[in-house]
Amino acid sequence: MKFTKEMVLDYADKLLIGLNEEEVNLVLEEFQIIDETISSVCDIPDLSKVEPMTHALDDFTFVLRSDELEDGKDGYPTEVLLRNAEKVENDEIVVPKVVG
Amino acid sequence: MEEGIVSLHEKLVNKEITSEELVKKSLEKAKEAQEKYNAFVTILPDAKGVNKITSLLSGIPYGVKDNYSTKDVLSTGSSNTLKNYVPFFNATAVENLQKAGAVIIGKTVLDEFGMGGTGTTGHTGVVKNPWDETRMCAGSSSGSAASVACGVYPYALGSDTGDSIRKPAAYCGIVGYKPTYGMISRYGLFPFASSLDTCGVLTRSVEDAAIVVDAMKGLDENDMTSWDSSDIHLYDSLKKQTKAKKICIIPEICDIKRYPHASSELKEHLENFQKTLEICKSLGFTVEEVSIDENLLNALASVYIIISCAEATSNLSNLTGIIFGPRGNGTSTLDFIKDHRTKGFSPLIKRRFVIGSYVLQKENQERYFRNAQRVRRLIVDKMKEIFKEYDAVILPVGTGPAKKLKGPYDILDRNTTILEEHLQIGNFGGFPSITIPNGFIDGLPVGVNITGNCYEDEKVLQIASLLESKMPYKGQIAGRKEK
Repeated sequence: MKFTKEMVLDYADKLLIGLNEEEVNLVLEEFQIIDETISSVCDIPDLSKVEPMTHALDDFTFVLRSDELEDGKDGYPTEVLLRNAEKVENDEIVVPKVVG
Repeated sequence: MEEGIVSLHEKLVNKEITSEELVKKSLEKAKEAQEKYNAFVTILPDAKGVNKITSLLSGIPYGVKDNYSTKDVLSTGSSNTLKNYVPFFNATAVENLQKAGAVIIGKTVLDEFGMGGTGTTGHTGVVKNPWDETRMCAGSSSGSAASVACGVYPYALGSDTGDSIRKPAAYCGIVGYKPTYGMISRYGLFPFASSLDTCGVLTRSVEDAAIVVDAMKGLDENDMTSWDSSDIHLYDSLKKQTKAKKICIIPEICDIKRYPHASSELKEHLENFQKTLEICKSLGFTVEEVSIDENLLNALASVYIIISCAEATSNLSNLTGIIFGPRGNGTSTLDFIKDHRTKGFSPLIKRRFVIGSYVLQKENQERYFRNAQRVRRLIVDKMKEIFKEYDAVILPVGTGPAKKLKGPYDILDRNTTILEEHLQIGNFGGFPSITIPNGFIDGLPVGVNITGNCYEDEKVLQIASLLESKMPYKGQIAGRKEK
């Protein structure tokens, strides 16, 4: 696989991240190594038949709590939830106008 | 503050010292550790002692890695993107310790969002190793390791996604314990890679690690991956050492013959490990060799990078500078999010995000992401097979003592050895895993790691505690004891 600067910049842009020249080169260098290692892994016989492991304890049964407010738990006041936002007006977060 | 938890607790109960005095001492030491090693993002000068001693941890100071949410206390993840973020709730693990009466003294520096292994990428600067300031602490729980090693308090919280508790512990000559995945709730821990992230602790003894995790753990309705561990009593189990243990080593990782060009440091490290195995045998342990396919081991580092970067890319997409974090410049919403992320993230994080994005693209998923997950299963299956016959796997940590701070670091290179990366296996399978100090090379500490099967934390800590009791490194303070 040939990795190019354009590819790296495209992926970075999708993540809303800007990269400088040095950062692009570091990604290219590291990617080459990952690709080579994965190439060798792809040679493992019957790898495609192995079920991908998505979680550390995949023998674990997850129990979801009920989606209801418990007695005495009323959530947090709006001003507490908004206190880390830099631009707030009337309990709302201010963003640039997007509709004319 | 250089004593263990039980000793401090007894002094508090016997009124030989007050919690207030302990807090004062700890704050003085924290200030010193900050000046010398840059271990803290925040020190809490107004921290107060407690009057009532209700548990082993009551009234005793501790540190918290800055990727745990702490109510009304700055919590940055050591990132510029959250440099002004103040949570309105405590992480469950912190809340549990508060209920036990423990006193937070400060928030410690990490590699940005836990995504590094050097202690050099935090937004407040490099963390220096208390044994030698020209060397790194490793990471990402760097500030926690440095502050415990130099005696600010008996313990500090860490988190471990690849080896972020267990490697800094080795480099700083202390104990680092990552329990079975989900034993401690992750609620309020800033996520890095959710299928690997584990809360844990850095201490100066196995006993202290057991006491602290006993208090941190428990089923939590806010973390669906937590589980009921009420029948696990780590501290009590240390007093009930039972039958002789059967442990194994993996020669593909630790056999000196596999490293024909080994540095003298690596040779000494592996020779020292052999001495540790002799101590195990003298304790009545059976020590045997079990092989693992080298192809799998060689893939370990890339598998880790692919899985962790993919999960991180998704987890940290909420960092926009809109609802929290400093707002970026620009005329459109997308512009100022991009500005916030471009200026806020360090080059290391950006690199990891781009890799994560690439492996998650529809056309690449099968080759990279899915195959990495398949190799993860093959490795974990092999380990589970080993644990059917053995109580634990014992291996050296890293290739020797702490590395020099002059880079380059954290770049996956062709010379990366399996010795540097094998602790990631513990995260792949969610296995309980502990590092304890096992010697010195050129005056710098090195560590040994013990990993066991899921839910068998008691057994892993028993082995570690027995081994620790036969070596002179328990409770050591950086630079203080015999090197």
